[in-house]
Amino acid sequence: MSDNSPFKILTEDQIQSIHQTALGLLEEIGVLVKEPRARRYFKQAGAVVDEDNMRVRIQPDIVAEAIKQAPSRFTLHARKPDNTVEVDYRRLHIEPMIGRLNILDLDTGERRRTSITDVANLVRVADAMENYHLLHSGAIMPSIEGVSLHAAHVNGYLTSVRNTGKVVKASSRGRETAEDCIRMAAVVAGGEEALRQRPNVFTTVNPVAPLQHDQGLTEGLIEYASYGLPIDVTSEPQAGATAPVTLAGLLAQQTADVLSGITLAQLVNPGTPVWYGTCGAIMDMKLGAIALGAVEAGLINAASAQLAAHYNIPCRGTGAATESKLLDIQAGYEKAITLLMAALGGINCIFYPGVLEHALTISLESLVIDNEICGMALRALRGIEVNADTLAVPVIEAVGPGGNFLGQRHTLNFLQQEQFMPSLSNRQTREDWLSRAGGKSGWERAKDEVRRILAEHEPPPLDASVEAELERIVGEVEARQR
Amino acid sequence: MSKHDDIIERMQESIIEAEEEDAEAAAEAALAAGMDPLDAVEKGFAEPIRNLGEAFNRMEIFLPQLVLSAAAMKAGLSVLEPALKARADYEASRKGTVAIGTVEGDIHDIGKTVVIAMLRSAGYEVHDLGADVPMPNFLQVAQQVKADVIAMSALLSTTMLRQRDLIELMEIKGVRGMYYVIVGGAPVNESWAREIGADAFALDAFETVAVLNARERLESSNA
Repeated sequence: MSDNSPFKILTEDQIQSIHQTALGLLEEIGVLVKEPRARRYFKQAGAVVDEDNMRVRIQPDIVAEAIKQAPSRFTLHARKPDNTVEVDYRRLHIEPMIGRLNILDLDTGERRRTSITDVANLVRVADAMENYHLLHSGAIMPSIEGVSLHAAHVNGYLTSVRNTGKVVKASSRGRETAEDCIRMAAVVAGGEEALRQRPNVFTTVNPVAPLQHDQGLTEGLIEYASYGLPIDVTSEPQAGATAPVTLAGLLAQQTADVLSGITLAQLVNPGTPVWYGTCGAIMDMKLGAIALGAVEAGLINAASAQLAAHYNIPCRGTGAATESKLLDIQAGYEKAITLLMAALGGINCIFYPGVLEHALTISLESLVIDNEICGMALRALRGIEVNADTLAVPVIEAVGPGGNFLGQRHTLNFLQQEQFMPSLSNRQTREDWLSRAGGKSGWERAKDEVRRILAEHEPPPLDASVEAELERIVGEVEARQR
Repeated sequence: MSKHDDIIERMQESIIEAEEEDAEAAAEAALAAGMDPLDAVEKGFAEPIRNLGEAFNRMEIFLPQLVLSAAAMKAGLSVLEPALKARADYEASRKGTVAIGTVEGDIHDIGKTVVIAMLRSAGYEVHDLGADVPMPNFLQVAQQVKADVIAMSALLSTTMLRQRDLIELMEIKGVRGMYYVIVGGAPVNESWAREIGADAFALDAFETVAVLNARERLESSNA
């Protein structure tokens, strides 16, 4: 958990109870593992594998060994060295969403399919935002409008690395897809050995709740793990639908999902960096639809962070999700509450800034707005420093009764560390807001900011030979017969 | 209250309370009392489940209530089925039969579960093939249960291609004309349905029922 994670939703006893239940689920019920190579890894480790129904039952000692092997900190090397990320189970990083099927058009406000140009713009905006550290990318998108389906991942990856100096995520959807992405990441890293030594790419693998490991993603997990590349193993339970409606039961089942995935990664390659991941939410039972912006998602995140900390493994969670179709008041409160709960709960990588409506739609303006919410959450997480300097007795004495602190050097010196400086929020008086800021809403200001970034922001260019090699790989994948 | 009315009330309660065993027992009582099975199903099971479906549509009840009540109805119906099928006017009285599944390579089936509950509440006979269903299984089951409708769900834009593949397979096997094909799932939309030659697309469970009901009306007016 982050250094300051003041929001502790579970007691030590409750953590133990959820942990023990998860181990029991893995040993007694087991998980469905569709990928035969994965079942072989489990079998070699001594797990009870039933080949007929693909069920794998894993004993607690196998899981315990894997948890010990998973590192509690690791580094993801960015193309721009300043953007390198030290993942640590006591720090917070933010991962905005980039690739979604739909985008809310910047000019019309209408929803439409996301194109490769949109991917470029989304990545460029995320590159410019100071509170975004790890980038989801076009490589993860199963499809991109106007791009042939079997080459979406490579086109998505190329477009993404071209537009950011930050660490870019790639796809694990199937063995070949994973291999293509890793091959491209190796080109950016400067060769396969360099990639192993200095990983510049990570991926997501989702166990499918309840208790299933899909074939394609498990193939991807094996590929990434064999290179020692970081993987967030993220379960996506929906309370009441794909998990018990009781959050305790959901957490136990999710922990079983995640630990079985983490165990597989360690069996493939001991020491593979992983996150304990949650994308837990509820089903809205009046609709039969997922509710990612629900307050319960915040609770699940806070609890997940504590469980991951119990394992000394970084935790990936979610925040800033919303069911709203617009950037309206509902988007604002759902995003703020889920993000703040995840941050204060101690999540180490918060995923989802940028999304709308069940995370089916992405928005450039939302990336800008959520960056502001992230700034506030990061400030909240830093807490309040209490020492002789910050208690400021000499300053209070100098000002004395009835004075003010505006003319004190102490004020100027401590201002920027004490106060979050908003870049999007408007705090002017009504008169100034009307006369000097055009009376614009937050959404309109975000649109202006997006347009400014797209006009001005220049991500660090790729080395010409690297770019040529990446283009060659894209061409090769596009030419594959399907 | 007559004995028959009493049994109808028990049947209705079993649906509202979502008790499978009560539904079976009430259905058996209806048979033992020599009640007209069609009449018993309509008043005892169909009416309350329809009301629940409408209440869910108005967001007045929760989904698990509908899913459990639909399961109770299914249990009760299975008791009455032999008697129903023995009636000459059975075929004319029933709504369509739907074979539904999530396509191969896709193990997400929660959306499909919602669709099934709504379809059952609307009076359709639904055969759930589950998730990750190989293409030949769709056709095999559809044939076995004499389905009118094949419904395919896909959550991923990669697996939605299997919807197209199944329609192509149906063309090749010469059975495309035998079934009304409806597709759905998060990445699926109207233009995809048109592109692959499906008969219909439905955005959600409510729309699935609306689309199939509209088709029923059309069929019966043509008949």
